[in-house]
Amino acid sequence: MRTRGFLIALIALLAAALLYLAVFWEPVPQRPVEKIVPHGQLPPAIAPTGGDFVLQGPQGPVALADYRGKVVLIYFGYTWCPDVCPTSLSLLAQALADLEAAERERVQAIFISVDPERDTPARLKEYAPFFHPALIGLSGSREQIAAVATAYGSSYQKQPAHAEGNYAVDHSSATYVVDQRGRLAGSLPHASSPAQIVAFVRQQLSAGDAR
Amino acid sequence: MPSHPAVLALAALLLLPVGATAADSGLVVSDAHVRLMPPGTPNSLAFMSISNRSGSDRRLLQAASPMARTVELHTHIDDHGVMRMRQIAAIDIPAGGRAELRSGGQHVMLIGLRQPLREGEHVPLTLRFDDGSTQQLEVPVRRPQPALAAEPPAAPGKH
Repeated sequence: MRTRGFLIALIALLAAALLYLAVFWEPVPQRPVEKIVPHGQLPPAIAPTGGDFVLQGPQGPVALADYRGKVVLIYFGYTWCPDVCPTSLSLLAQALADLEAAERERVQAIFISVDPERDTPARLKEYAPFFHPALIGLSGSREQIAAVATAYGSSYQKQPAHAEGNYAVDHSSATYVVDQRGRLAGSLPHASSPAQIVAFVRQQLSAGDAR
Repeated sequence: MPSHPAVLALAALLLLPVGATAADSGLVVSDAHVRLMPPGTPNSLAFMSISNRSGSDRRLLQAASPMARTVELHTHIDDHGVMRMRQIAAIDIPAGGRAELRSGGQHVMLIGLRQPLREGEHVPLTLRFDDGSTQQLEVPVRRPQPALAAEPPAAPGKH
């Protein structure tokens, strides 16, 4: 009889625990949702002119002028970027892969970090080749990056830190195309397909050949 | 079997429903995968399609994984060419419809990976919905595929 009482008490305790878990247990607390900063608060885009620059590459300074005679594709982003940059760089890498080898020799793809605090040249050296061996990542001081981004018409804005002290950097997601003379030929909008990138590159190569 | 009132009360207590299960929620997850990120990247995302075969609208409220310190639901807002990623409270799955968690749209964000992900391995992921149901998934890690743009953008701008 005492055993039965003990068992009943035990069952009651377990049942209560189960109910408590089912009703009240929240594995992770809910956190408030961030507000969106309107685009008007980004630095205004001045009519982009492109132009030469020197930034830090995996083996030291890299100048745009080093690539005269090549069509240069420039993408501004950052390595902690979870979706937009990996997607854009995958599309860019596919475009490079779709070019003929002889064409690819006359093309250079550059990833410029808009998060120079976290994206050191060493970090970019580890990051860029994941997408394509020919892609190089460039970093620089905050002022240098801001000057190049402004010249090319790219805007970006560091966001307040959230979980893990992690912060995002909102940035425009176009790919800028520089012709073989070093002039800004145009830009391809976010999510342009490899075929569209290839077509624009070929257009620039043949225009260069005709000059 | 003694008809002791305490035993009967207990039996009744234990038979109470404690939240719906995946089996009767009518929610079906397909094509779930986690993006393989470049080495040294502390975050990743999970993509999937969630079909709602029930007669009522459902919401995905929360995702959790032992592989990440924080898991959040996010979406993208295309703001004049700036893709802004923001946390959202829930992902709607309309009755008889589906929610697409895709690159450039809504997704589950894995923040602070506890170890680097390798291609082909599986990441445990638990989803919790507003009807109290949960689903435990083992989601494979995949290299990003160049997903083609849903609609071709305009011709390149000339300067």
